Amino acid sequence: MAKLTLPPEEWVRSGHSACPGCAPALALRFLLKGLGPRTIVSIPACCWTVIATPYPTTALGVAMLDTPIESTGASISGLRAAADALGLSDLNVVGVAGDGGTADIGLQSLSGMLERRTNAIYLMYDNEAYMNTGVQRSGATPWHAWTTTTPVGPRARGKAEPKKDIMGIVLAHRPVYAATVNPSFPEDFLAKVEKARDLVGPRFFQAITPCPPGWRYDSSETVEVGSLATETGLFPLYEVEEGRLRITRRYGRLKPVREYLQKQGRFGHLTDPEIDAIQSRVTARWEELLRSERTSAEGRAQPPATDQAPTAAR
Amino acid sequence: MMEIRFWGRGGQGAVLAAELLAQAAFLDGKVPQSFPFFGVERRGAPVTAYARVSDRPIEVRTSIATPDVVVVLEHGLLATMPTTDGLREGGTVLVNARADDPGLVAPPSARLATVDADRIALELGLGTAATPIVNTAVLGALVRVTGVVSPIALDRAIERVVPARPSENLAACHAGYAGVLVRTTEVPVPTPRPSPRAPPLPEGPLATIPSDVLRTASWRTRRPEIRLERCTRCNFCWKFCPDTAIALDALGFPQLIAEHCKGCGICAAVCPPKTIAMVAEGSEGP
Repeated sequence: MAKLTLPPEEWVRSGHSACPGCAPALALRFLLKGLGPRTIVSIPACCWTVIATPYPTTALGVAMLDTPIESTGASISGLRAAADALGLSDLNVVGVAGDGGTADIGLQSLSGMLERRTNAIYLMYDNEAYMNTGVQRSGATPWHAWTTTTPVGPRARGKAEPKKDIMGIVLAHRPVYAATVNPSFPEDFLAKVEKARDLVGPRFFQAITPCPPGWRYDSSETVEVGSLATETGLFPLYEVEEGRLRITRRYGRLKPVREYLQKQGRFGHLTDPEIDAIQSRVTARWEELLRSERTSAEGRAQPPATDQAPTAAR
Repeated sequence: MMEIRFWGRGGQGAVLAAELLAQAAFLDGKVPQSFPFFGVERRGAPVTAYARVSDRPIEVRTSIATPDVVVVLEHGLLATMPTTDGLREGGTVLVNARADDPGLVAPPSARLATVDADRIALELGLGTAATPIVNTAVLGALVRVTGVVSPIALDRAIERVVPARPSENLAACHAGYAGVLVRTTEVPVPTPRPSPRAPPLPEGPLATIPSDVLRTASWRTRRPEIRLERCTRCNFCWKFCPDTAIALDALGFPQLIAEHCKGCGICAAVCPPKTIAMVAEGSEGP
């Protein structure tokens, strides 16, 4: 019998209302396996608030606060202040929000939480559109992807703009820890969660979470589609700790992005020149990432000194 | 002005049905309006959409509370949702059902019409057995019983708007037009629902019942069949199940928790020795 590579305890219960093949459901399952029961999760309007709460039941084995969509960051600053006032020093305070609620609607409150150096973990599960309301484009929707508000036709080729760089935005706030995670790589996911759990200060995760109805592929292919996102270099896995960047899944040779794109109906309209254009952006970004890793190892990408210690948590 | 309210389940095409009707009305030179109810969207969840067709500009922008016509794409919704609430005197209820399906009820003054759109869609290969895409067949029936738009305009709208398989959808529309049955209902009136009043909020946590009391097995149309003799106990199926519906026994062999499995098929896809097969729900086990 193969040894379990993940903790056996489950903090996401069956009976939840996620669609079949839901990667955000896996992302929370892995996150909570790493954090354990001394955790409170704040969730705004997003798929997960529906997944967790088929009223009057709850799918989470930990406490959950339901918060307005723009307020996840503010709510975890408040939860941490309350926990500190009550002397609950061992409590993991966690915000979990979708890409729309993080990179668009909740951006100011995420920025505020990072800037206040709130001692909390924030996970954005990135299904690359407003999936809970039926696939409307968000800032995190990738270039050329079809959504109901970025249609495909003679004069429209899906989303005209590239994906918003949420990791760049977060890293500009110099959190103590930030990482990309992918439910298709659970051991890498868990290792990062366990590392973040034991740090103090603002910590951020971006999880790529494929969505069968929104990305238009069969629900059985969630793990494969997620794997290809990383193996093609579209969603590289890395972590940034105290300004030092480390790639956690390294590939000598990336798979062509075509393999990832052609699995999904939302990219079914792409022409060869469009796929080539995406490929050259992905290749350039991967090389940029390799360069960042080298320069940060030499200390050149360390954040400049600020007037206060960057790890000081309030 | 004619006001039409569509009820369906996510994936059946209720929202597109309202839009197609509006497009057809536009081609007829009328003034249309169509929009969905904004709410949680899930495959299988109840969906509402609205359409208005008028000869004059439409000033009203609200959802439709007193429809002339109610269109129900899945007849189970008649019993579980307030589908016919506010239906006008002499209005029409059009249901995707066989005429002899039990539980077909409509308010006393209403006309009840049925069309077996599931059968039409399946015969034409539209959608899957679990989720037939029935909107175009139902629209054909709607045009026949209400005359809200002309049949030729509906054909043109389907050709222009339907994203895939226009010829099958046209055929479905024509079969719905030909196959709709109308009866004036004498069946019992559903008891009016009392307006729901929210109970006072409790002190303390709002939801404390573990969700695993809910059975999600009815969501699935296929189920995994695990052949243990070829299992290597790698536990990938356990690891990647989004519904925590696979347990490991003391020896490390996987066991399906059938009452919670939604049939997504991830376990079969990730199984290295391919010892899990997805089989149609309802077929014989090993």
